[in-house]
Amino acid sequence: MKKNIFYLIIGFVALALLAIFWYSVETFTPVLSMIAFVIGVVIIYVSYRRVDDFIEDERSARITEKAALRTFQVFWVCFCAFSIMAVMNLLYMPHLSRELRFDRQSMPLSVEIMSPRMIGYVQLGLLCLMIFLYVGFRFYYARKYGEWETDEE
Amino acid sequence: MKNKIKVYRAMYDLTQEDLAKAIGVTRQTILAIEKGKYVPSLDLAFRISRHFKVNIEEVFTYEDEVRTADKD
Repeated sequence: MKKNIFYLIIGFVALALLAIFWYSVETFTPVLSMIAFVIGVVIIYVSYRRVDDFIEDERSARITEKAALRTFQVFWVCFCAFSIMAVMNLLYMPHLSRELRFDRQSMPLSVEIMSPRMIGYVQLGLLCLMIFLYVGFRFYYARKYGEWETDEE
Repeated sequence: MKNKIKVYRAMYDLTQEDLAKAIGVTRQTILAIEKGKYVPSLDLAFRISRHFKVNIEEVFTYEDEVRTADKD
């Protein structure tokens, strides 16, 4: 398979995923978009394995590896920080507080830190952040390892 | 790490593309190594020097300096 056909497949998969995501939001069927996402990733991976004009050497592998590692390092800090707050929200629920024998009556405030809808928005933002971080780090390391160097040959 | 790939390429009358194809990497990788932007693995360094039929020390020279390139 040629490289350009692979890029076309990525485009089609992305469009299909967008349409399925929109449909599953409209019909409130989250399982549909979860399954579609996994199938989409499998299609892209299988297509990638069949491309024969991709030359991946140790330098390009190193660029990918470094970008993925740095993205992961930044992402897990953001994600953990946010998750701690979300867990706080969960533990503050009345039925849990009874089980854990906390006296919520003596607490000065009984408001949620963040609504479940807001938690969803922040998670969506974190997913977008992950994509942008990866693209940014890829550009950075590609430049560092001479991707766009000019040749005086 | 300094190298004399460019010199050996000139001696063998090879373009970056020719050398890249012969050792199975991209032309950009040869260019990055020549310019000192990328330090090749031991395996690749051996492949390059064997292609020119010389010892690895004749193509690559290690300079005893503080390495900061891999810290970011």
